[in-house]
Order: sequence, then C-alpha cells, then structure tokens
Amino acid sequence: MSHSFEINSLQIENLTIMRQQTPLLSLNETIKGGEVLTIMGPSGSGKSTLLSWLTGMLPKGFKADGQLYLNGANITKVASYQRNIGLLFQDALLFSHLSVAGNIAFAMPKSDNKARAIKISQALADVGLAGLENRQPESLSGGQQARVALLRVLLSQPKAILLDEPFSKLDSQLRQETRQLVFEQIRQHQLPVIMVTHDESDAIAANGKVFHLKTPQQDI
Amino acid sequence: MPLGKSKSFFNGKRARFPTLLATHFSHQTVILLSYQQLNGFMTQVPKTSKVKAIVPAILLPRLRFLAWFAILFTTSSLSYANTAFAAAPEESSRTNTKTSSKIAKVDSALISNDLPIKTKWSTGETLGKKPAVYFHAWGGDPQINSYIQWLAKRVKQKYNIHLQHVKLTDTSEAVSRVLAEKSADNHQQGQVDLVWINGENFASMAKYQLLAQGWVSQLPNFWLTNPSENEAMTRDFGLPTQGMEAPWGQASLTFYYTPSIVVNKSKIPKDPKNAYQNSIRHAPKNINQLLIWAKQNPGRFTYPKPPDFLSLSFLKYALITLNQHQPAQVKSSLYQAVTPQSQVTLLPVLWAFLDKLHPHLWHQGRYFVASGTALQRLVGDGEINLGFTFSAAQVPAAVERYNLPKNTRSFVMQDGSLSNIHFIAIPYNAANSDAAKVVANFMLSVEAQAKKQQAKIWGDSTVLDVTQLSQQEQLLFSTEQQHPSALPVSSKITALSEPHPSWSRLLTDEWLRRYGAQ
Amino acid sequence: MSHNLTSNFLNTPPLKNGTKRLDTLFSAVVKFSPKLLVAILILPVLGGLLGVFLPAFGWLPALDRTQFGLQGFQQLIQTPGIAQMIGLSFFSSIISGLLAFIMTILLLANYFDSPWLARIQGFLGPILVIPHAAAAIAIAFLITPSGMIARLLSPWLTGWQSPTDWLLPHDPYGISIIMGLTLKELPFLLLMTLSAIAQPDLNLKLRAQYRVALSLGYYPITAFFKAVLPNIYPFMRLPMLAILAYASASVEMPLILGPNTPPTLAVAIMNWFHDVDLSLRIKASAGAILQLFITLSVLLTWWLLEKTTQAIISKSLSNGQRTYGDTFWTKIINIFTLLLSCFITLALLGMVFWSFAGYWQFPLALPGQWVITHWQSALLQIQTPIINSLSIGLVATSIALILTLLTLEFEKQNGAQLSRFSSVIIYLPLMIPSIAFLFGLVWLQEAVHSKATFINVALTHLLFVLPYVFLSLATSYRLLDPRYAQVAAGLGASPIKIFLQVSLPQLLMPIMMASALGLAISFSQYLPTLLVSGGRLNTVTTEAVSLANGASRRTSAVYALIQMLLPAIAFSLIWLMSMRKKRQKAQAKRNNKTASYITKVNR
Repeated sequence: MSHSFEINSLQIENLTIMRQQTPLLSLNETIKGGEVLTIMGPSGSGKSTLLSWLTGMLPKGFKADGQLYLNGANITKVASYQRNIGLLFQDALLFSHLSVAGNIAFAMPKSDNKARAIKISQALADVGLAGLENRQPESLSGGQQARVALLRVLLSQPKAILLDEPFSKLDSQLRQETRQLVFEQIRQHQLPVIMVTHDESDAIAANGKVFHLKTPQQDI
Repeated sequence: MPLGKSKSFFNGKRARFPTLLATHFSHQTVILLSYQQLNGFMTQVPKTSKVKAIVPAILLPRLRFLAWFAILFTTSSLSYANTAFAAAPEESSRTNTKTSSKIAKVDSALISNDLPIKTKWSTGETLGKKPAVYFHAWGGDPQINSYIQWLAKRVKQKYNIHLQHVKLTDTSEAVSRVLAEKSADNHQQGQVDLVWINGENFASMAKYQLLAQGWVSQLPNFWLTNPSENEAMTRDFGLPTQGMEAPWGQASLTFYYTPSIVVNKSKIPKDPKNAYQNSIRHAPKNINQLLIWAKQNPGRFTYPKPPDFLSLSFLKYALITLNQHQPAQVKSSLYQAVTPQSQVTLLPVLWAFLDKLHPHLWHQGRYFVASGTALQRLVGDGEINLGFTFSAAQVPAAVERYNLPKNTRSFVMQDGSLSNIHFIAIPYNAANSDAAKVVANFMLSVEAQAKKQQAKIWGDSTVLDVTQLSQQEQLLFSTEQQHPSALPVSSKITALSEPHPSWSRLLTDEWLRRYGAQ
Repeated sequence: MSHNLTSNFLNTPPLKNGTKRLDTLFSAVVKFSPKLLVAILILPVLGGLLGVFLPAFGWLPALDRTQFGLQGFQQLIQTPGIAQMIGLSFFSSIISGLLAFIMTILLLANYFDSPWLARIQGFLGPILVIPHAAAAIAIAFLITPSGMIARLLSPWLTGWQSPTDWLLPHDPYGISIIMGLTLKELPFLLLMTLSAIAQPDLNLKLRAQYRVALSLGYYPITAFFKAVLPNIYPFMRLPMLAILAYASASVEMPLILGPNTPPTLAVAIMNWFHDVDLSLRIKASAGAILQLFITLSVLLTWWLLEKTTQAIISKSLSNGQRTYGDTFWTKIINIFTLLLSCFITLALLGMVFWSFAGYWQFPLALPGQWVITHWQSALLQIQTPIINSLSIGLVATSIALILTLLTLEFEKQNGAQLSRFSSVIIYLPLMIPSIAFLFGLVWLQEAVHSKATFINVALTHLLFVLPYVFLSLATSYRLLDPRYAQVAAGLGASPIKIFLQVSLPQLLMPIMMASALGLAISFSQYLPTLLVSGGRLNTVTTEAVSLANGASRRTSAVYALIQMLLPAIAFSLIWLMSMRKKRQKAQAKRNNKTASYITKVNR
C-alpha cells in the first residue's frame, strides 16, 4: 500500500457502508487542508451514518468497509477520542455546567492555566466575544453560542473538522456571518473539512467539492 | 463428648452420667449442673411423678449439699470429686437446714473470694482490647431500654466493655438466630453474646443445646441470690436451669384499671387506703368476677394473642385459678410435663371460660393485640378499661409519661398472681462469652439490682437475697414514696407458680386452633 | 506497515502511560459492570430461594433433618385458617392494586390538562417517600376507635363519650390493609406514570392526541380514556406488577393494620420463622414457597384482568361516543380528591399531635396538654439508629449509583440497551416477595460471612435500592444527547473524561434525585434489616415498627415522624438544589436578554 503523503489531508478510501445487507453509500475522496467537502442528500440517505463512521461511532446494525486516513495515518480503528477530528453540530451543545471559558478550556490540551486563560481571552476577542469568559452558556445568544462552539473545536487543535448541519438553526443574517467566520477560521488553520448539509447556500459558500447522496431505494 | 451426650442422659440414661461427667470435667459447676439435670430428669419421668410432690423437700437440702461439694471441688483433686460425687445420689435427704444453710453462706463467701475468678473478672484484663457484648433483649419498653443503656454506661466505665443492646420484638428472634448459626456451622463466632430469656424460649434453647453451660456459678454475684435457700433461682418455669442462665429479676402479674367515668372528687374519702379501695371497687377481683365484669362492660377488656408472653401468663393464670377446686394431685400435674390425661382434666374449664368471655372482649374477641404492651396503649386511649402487666412499675411510669390516665390504679387478683423469674443466658457459640460473663456478673451486683428495683428506673424486683446484704446495701433497695397508680406495698400477693413449660406450647397450639382462625 | 509507524510517530502525540492504563481500566470496569449488576441482583435472590426451598422439603441439618419429604407442606395445609390467610393475602393485594390503579387513572383523567395535576403530584410526592411502616402507623392512628376521625365526629355527631368498639383497624376482611396499601401505592403509581409520560417526545405526542380528541368533541375524561390511556398503560404495567407483588407479601402493613385471627400469609410465615418451636421453620419454608405461588397468581390475575378489559374495551375506543357522564365523574373525582387530601392531612396531623400530647382524653380533638418529653426521650435513644440508617443507606445507595451509572455508560458506549434478560433481572427483587428469599439469604450469609453484619445488611438493602436507582436514572441517562459525548470525543476527551466531566455533571440533578430515592428506599427497609442483621443493627425503621404495637402511642408517633423526616430531609435538600439551579437558569435567561440587547445596540 502506498499513499500520497500529504500533511493536512483527510482521505476516505473505498468506503462502503451497509445497513444490514443493503449498501447505503460508497465514497472515495481526499480532502486537502483548507478544503471543504460538502455532502448533500435527503434525510435517510446516510449523511449522519457517514459522520458517525468518520468519528468512529458507527451505530449497531451498520457495517463499513474501507479505510480512513488522517494526514496519512490510518485511523480506521482508532478510538473516536484519539482521532483528533472535531465536530460541530447545528446546536452549539455547550456544557451548561461549565462557563464559556470552561467550555473552551475543556477542549484545550493540558498546559499552564494562565497561558490557557490568555489564549481563551484572545480567541474570544478574535470572534467578537471579548469579556464573556465567565458567562454561563445559557446566557449567550444563539450566534454567540455558535461562535463559542467553533472556538471550542478549533482550540482543541483538531486535524480535521466535521460539520453537521452547522448553520441550520441560525436566522439568515446570523447564518451568513457565522458561516463566513467558520470557513475563514478553517482556511486559516488549513484543516480538511467535511460538511453535511441540505442547504444549497452552505454548499456554495463552502466553495468546494459537493457530493450528492442518493435517496435510498426502499426507505422513506 | 459429654456435652454432646447430655441430651441422651437427659432422656433417661441416668446411671451413666455422674461418673462420666466427673471424669471429663474437673470444674465444680458442671458437677453442680449435672446434679440439677438429674433432678430435672427425675421430674420428667412420669413413673416418678410422686417424686415431684416431694421435690422441694428433697431438692433444697440437696442443692445446699451440692453447693458445699462444689466448693470442695475447687480446692480438692479430681479423684476426690469423683468418689464424692458418685456417692451423692445415694445420699438420702439431709434435713438439717440450719447447718447446711450456714455452710452455703460460708461457701458463697468462699467462692466470691475465690482468687482466680475475682482477679479475672473484676479487672477485665483478659478480655482483649475492645470487648463488645451483644445483649439480645426484648426492646419494647423505653424504661427497660434506658436501664440497659445505664448498664452499658456502667460496664464501659468499670470494665471498658462495649455493651450493645440488640432490641428484639420477640426473644425467639434471638433463638432462631443462634439456631441459624448452628446450622451454618458457626460454633465460635456467634452474634448473640447474652440473651434475656425465660420459660419456653429457654426450654427451646436448652433442648437444642444452644446455651453455654455451667458458667452461672462462676459469677461471684450469683451467690448473692442465695441459690441454696432460694430454689426459684435455679428453676425456670419448673425446668432446672443447669447453670445455663442466671436470674436477673422477678415479677408477678399485676392488673390495672381505669374507671370510664371520672369519679367525682368530692366523693373520694380522705383516708388514702379507702380512696384506693373505692377507686377499684368496680374492678373484678378474681377470675369469675372478670367474666361478669366483661359481660357488664362489653368491649372493655382484652388480652394479647398467644404466643405472646403476657398472653400465656393470662391464660396460665386463668388455667390455674379455674382449676383451683380440683384435688391437689390433679393440680400438681400443672407443674409437670403435659400428658393426655392432664390435658383432659385441666383444660376444658379454661376453654369453656374463654368461649364465654370472648364475645364480650374488645373487638368482640375477633382481634387480639399481638403484644402485651399494646394493652397499655388501649387503656391509655380509653378503648379498654382493664389491663395487666408483669412489670407493675410500668403503670405509674406510664401515668407520669401521659400514656395512662391519672386515675389508673394497680391491683392484684385475690385468687392469685402468677409469678416468675426472668434470666440471662449465654449462647454456646457466643463470640464474646468472657465479656458476657463479666456483664452478667455486674447485672447481678447490688448496684445494678438496686437501681433496677427503683420504681422510677424500672421497678423490677431484685433476685438478690436482700436479707443477707449489709445494712448499708439493704438501704439501697428500700422503696420511696408510693405513686397513687402504683401497686400498694400493702397488697397481699398470693403467688402462683409458673406451670411446666410444655403447657405454654399446648396452650398456644390449642388456642390458635380454637380461636386463631375465625 | 512502515507507513503506520511513521505516521504514528509524526502525527499522534504519544499518550502518557498512566492515562492509557486508566483508560483501559475504565473500559474494563465499564464492560464488567452490567455483569456485576446482574450478579448482585440475581445471586442473593437465587441463593435465598434455595435456602428456603431445601427446608421446605424437609432438609434442615440444624434440626437433624436431612431427609427430603413433604411434612412441611402437610403441616402447612393443616394450619387452622390457612385458606383465610391465603384469601386475605390474595384479595387485599389485588383489591388494593386495583383501587390504586383506578384512582391513579381517574386523577390523571380529570386533571390531565390542568395545573392541579402538578399540585396533586406535589402533594402526593412526599407520601411516596414515607416508609410503609410509618404510613401504616399514621393510618392506624386515624381510623382506630379512639383515632382522629372518631374524635372529630364525637360527641356532637356520634354521641360517643368513650371510644366505641368498632373493628377498624385489624378488621378480619382486610379493609384496613387495603386502605393502607392503596394509599401508599397510589402516589407510587401516579408518580411513576407521570415520570414516564414526562419524556419530551411522548409528552408532546400525548398532549397533541388529547387536544385532537378534545377538538373532535370528546369530553375531557373520555378523551383521556380513549386517546391517552392506551398509550400510557404500557408504562404503568411494570410499576403495577411491582405494587401487586409487594402488596401480596408485605409484612409491615398487615402487621400494623391487619387482623391476626388469622393474619395474612406473609405475617404468619414471619411468625413461624420466629417461633420458639424451631421445627416450625420447615412449615415456614413451605409457607414461603406457597407465598411465591400466591404472588405469582396475583400477577397472573392482573394479567388476565388486563387482557379481559382490553378485549372488552378495544371496540368501544372507536365507537364514537363522546362522553360517559363526564360531568358527573368530574364532580365525583373532585370530591374524592378533596377527601383523600383531608384523609392524608388528618393522618399526618394526628401523628404530630400524638407526638406532643400530654394526656389526651377521648373525645377531645386536640390534646389537653402539649409536652415535648416524648421527643426529648426519643431523641436521646434514637441517635444510634439514625446513624445506622444513614450509613447503611449511604453505602447501599453509593454502590447502587456507581453500578447503575457504569452500566448505563456501558449501554451508551455499546449503543444498545441492556439485554432483555438483564432488564428483567433488575426487577427481580421487586417481583419476588422478599419474605420468600430473605430467610434463605440469612442462612446463606451466615454460611459465607457470619461476622460482617453491616456489609450484609448494606448488600441486602442494595438489592432493593438498586432497581429503583436504576429505574430513576436510566431514563435520564438514555435521554442524554449523545452529541455532547461525540463533541467531547472530537475534542480529544477520553471515555473516562467524558464520563466524569461531561455525562455526570449533566446528570447532576437526576443523580441527586436517584440518590434521594435510594436513601429513602433504604431507610424504609424493615424485614431485610431485621432479618439480615439479626436485630444487631437498629435502624429508625426497625425501632418504629417494634414500637408501633408497643405501649405508647406517643413514642410510636415520634418514631414514625422521625422515620418520615429522614427521607424528607434528603428530598428537601434536592429540592433546594434544584430551586437554586432554576434560579440560576432564570438569571441566565435574564442576562441573555440583556446580552442580546447589548449586541443589538452594538450593531
């Protein structure tokens, strides 16, 4: 086996996911750092199944064939928490038992607390949330929460990012702003990204390859 | 081994045991107890029922005699014990009471001064670092419970023993526990160290060999009960205690009564004695009056359900008094194991009585309270007007604690009052039997017994022979001012002895058969 | 595979050894815990049953009985009144279960869409945590001839100057037992049902269906019965069966409220086990087997009732009838609810009065004197029992919590719920009458470990605490949004970190709730404590029961109140915490508004 050795790439090699015995989807793609692969398709077409395979949490009843390489390393069998793949959902999913800073700190690698605090403040200021460190997540608006969630993922120093309908819960103006911010940050960090969405405008904004999943034959 | 065989000689292999035991045990107590076993055995054989009538006459001097031998054995050699004891059964009854009682006194003094015993027990040095004693005792009475707490405090101070009161709702719980331990082959580390027991529970534990034997006479304070003079201290409901249990207290059945209608105060005569008589003038004074009273006051009397202790006491009281007209020989069969014949002669009058009584009881005799103490609650609530108890001191104490009305009066039935002694025993597998002995010895001390007798503490009569104590010690037992609800000191108590324990079982079974399912 | 080596070297930061070991340990523990949970529940029960089965067929070495035979059962059949005992056990449990069920659904039907439901829930909730013994004592105080009801009605209505001799409690028909059991089971059933239908999805669906039915012209109660109940009943079945199983073999209620000529079978069995005559244990063991069959037949009867009712009613569900005297029923239920509340309030008030009463002459409705001596003397004596209750409760509850959480974590990690077998096992101690296996269990524990009384008692309590803790936590844990864990994993958090720092903090309230419930269950255990400790460990409950039939109504009231207060304190702490949380949330929301306002202004 030989693979093109590339820093910052996510490679899906000959993936086939089966539900029971029926094939659900097949995919063979390489996403370079800073690129976004957009997956589109109706519900039931296997979008979230694909994401769960990527994070190593494939539910029972599904089988997958194929390999996953991150920056050239085969991570198909690596535990989800050791994959260094960050996740962003439509909900910010901030831990309500932690403050804004606590949420971000939770994600950061262990190091000197002071240094971490400085980094957090800086990052917050970068996205226009200066001074909100000690607020409870519930007290933030939806857009603010989305930004904190983004920071949380980025500061965990992931090697790739998966976006699961990331902007669908935001109203249109906020949506544009947030989307812009996310893609900007991702490009800045040169991370490979896979985005699942059913919104064409997301795909356009991503400005990358789009992969359409087909409607499954039997299912609704 | 002899212990295992004790059952077999109990069953009748009389000839084997004295020498057998004497050979295997050099300890004086075992011989003492084996002799008592012999007496117990004799009373159980129907053929020798004549012996029973004269048992008190024979037994008393024999016991004294025995105690005397017992002392001799502590200082003399085993071989001497052997020959001396082998001769004992042949010895005809000695009736020189004076001499033997003197001997007994001297002997008890000797024992209590016996050095090994005294050093071993007064210091508690041999008991390990943190000796604990689990005392399984009925826990339904706050007054008794706090007395036991006082005991715990004292033995902690004196011997650094941790005495833990395990409160039972029924003593048989402890019996089943020891049995369960035996069945699980736990012969060393039993959880019950000391148990408050008498009557049927004792008979049951003795029958299944669940009790340690021969320890009682090791207690220096046991001899303060003057067992040689006082036959009752070594007999539990007619059964010889065989050194398996030490007496702790005694009680007699006392009734208490609250008139329904509060008596007009001006009508009460000034003379306190007349006032007392006046206040109980409507109460029944004997078993027949009880029936009449119950008919006149329907639903105002009840008694607990067997096998409750107080229930059986009431049934036994009725059984004895209803048979008082019978010839002496028939009556004496109450004190022997039940036979089909004694059943037929003694029981019918009781059932006839109960058949007549029950429709007039509380709840028309369709429900019987499960425990004797509940009677007090019913009297206190005004649901019934007549109750009875074995601890007379409970009545004034309950009045003080508002549980009984102020006009409650205690009295004893004129046709007799059932009396018994209650004991403490150590199971054969008790984990802390040495510490338990120390506790038992303290429970028999002048200090503990005098405390127990105080009406405000518990009011349980002492088992010590107070006349033998020093003047100063005697003062500790003197009673204070009488409470109006207490049993007057002047009450004439006609003591009725407890029937043989087999009657309890029979009464329970028959009662349950007749009235247990309606 | 040189490629892998290089990439590992280059890209994956080397994990610290310690962390890795901790992770493997954690995953091993998680993997093991469902098995441990099942073992902890099943082994004592089976062992205990064995320890009853053998003596029942005549094998009791302690009494030198080593031959198998049927004398135990023969003795049992010959017991006077055995048929009545069986009948009493059977009917009191079935009738009380049925009553509790009917009352529950009537309350639900009447107040389904009303704020009163929450109020009733709040009122009945505390009763759920009152131990059976204390509830029985309270009810006995209320209905006894000299009780609160008689005092309130005398002499102005009844003319009684002294208590009349009516047969309650302890009536031979078991009416008092049925009253006690119903009153204790009603809150349990109601709250279990409410918590089941509180699941967001189900709740939305049910309310939508209810509104649709209303909009189609169905009267509220009928709408509930036709559109909601069929969806709710599956959630009620299991608590219902647990209630029936418990009622058919309970000891405290019949002991305090029931007749004794004869008593219920369970009480009789307990008496035989404790009888002085040790050979009665064979009969008692046979009785325990009989008890098993009675419980089983009660459950079967319920199942039959359920099927019959279903068959009869299924057609009428869609028959189009909009009302079945709804207005009348509404009135009836309102009156009934009022009476029920009065009954409970009076029972509790009566207890409080007694605990402070000096001499309290009948028919005065209030004590003539108020004293605190009863509390004083009780508080002096009750310290050890309280400490025992607390420590046993804490140990049992902690073990139950840890096992439950780990098992649920296993479920989550495996993405599948427990096997059917395991979920049935969790209910085992609730379904098998405790009197049937506890005696055998004591024997077993004797044989294994005779000295560790405390551990034995705590482990036995665990049997009864575990199912409740599991039930109360499972829903919340399973409802936990899995994406939090996924996000955390994506952030590089190890499973143990996710478990400790993400899942547990999010479940703080449910965990506290489950702990309080576990404590309450442990506090209320009577038979297990008494039997397994052999009376060596006095808890507040064992004291309360032993004093319930004792000499002093006042002392008994104090103990019963203390028994109620213990779990109440646990729950009030939880309540206070949740209030604080709510306030924080409200605060946060207010901040949120300010924040969005500021953002807008900034724009």
